[in-house]
Amino acid sequence: MNQSRVGGGDRLRIELAILRIDWELDGRIPWRVRRRLKNELRSNLIAAAESNGAMAAVSQLGDLRALGASYLEVYRGRLDARRGAWAALITYVAVQALAIAVFLAFQSGIAAGGGHGGSYELLPGFGPFQGSVNHGFEMEILSPAHLVLMLVAFLIGSRAWRALPRGIRRGGGSAAGTDWRPGP
Amino acid sequence: MALLRLLAECESYGYELVGRLHELGLKQIHEGSVYPALSRLEREGSVTARLVSSNSGPARKYYRPSPAGYASLAECEVAWTTLVRALEPILSRPVPRRPQEART
Repeated sequence: MNQSRVGGGDRLRIELAILRIDWELDGRIPWRVRRRLKNELRSNLIAAAESNGAMAAVSQLGDLRALGASYLEVYRGRLDARRGAWAALITYVAVQALAIAVFLAFQSGIAAGGGHGGSYELLPGFGPFQGSVNHGFEMEILSPAHLVLMLVAFLIGSRAWRALPRGIRRGGGSAAGTDWRPGP
Repeated sequence: MALLRLLAECESYGYELVGRLHELGLKQIHEGSVYPALSRLEREGSVTARLVSSNSGPARKYYRPSPAGYASLAECEVAWTTLVRALEPILSRPVPRRPQEART
């Protein structure tokens, strides 16, 4: 069994530093590579902590965000899932904000006209912009249209086309070539 | 080049390599720059790595130059030696107190 002279508090400090670096890599490089990097960092940090203490070991790494960025330069894959997820989330929030604005406008119109209720469909077949006001109200929170828009945003945000083999991207020819190559 | 050269002398893991650099007087080089450099060398195929179990924690990753790494090291050493030879005549001259006036 492995025995380390590094105590619990020091271990925690090391794990927090690794977590901070891993955050920079999350969703941007393959998880197997991340796991390998984390294991290597952990073993180096423990070795450093045994000599100088965990605080010095972590501070010797310098800016953890910059270190994460350095690893990212080496291992960045073609697909940036994190950017894609943000793009999908922002798209959802934007669509919902618009849908709520449309709904409130419709509700005000009903009230101004002295009506008791009604339903609307701004873009036929487009879920987010349809709803009804009666005794209560109904509007779409998640519809196939939401999902399609979010998927498109994800694909654009993550630059998913870059994950396609080069031959397909160019419309034929060699299918060889990816940015990501695992180390030996 | 320095990393490849040190690894050619003795295979090392990241922290150990930093220690060897410090022993040589390169104390301004920190772990945060050496670890990604090793990853880059590995990805380029200039070094190979193997895991060696450690009694103080996770297995340590020891690096050594690959054949491509040795070739790259030889090229770098030639380029470095050429550069030093080219600069030596300039740097060996004494620095004058004031630069010479331009001839018009």
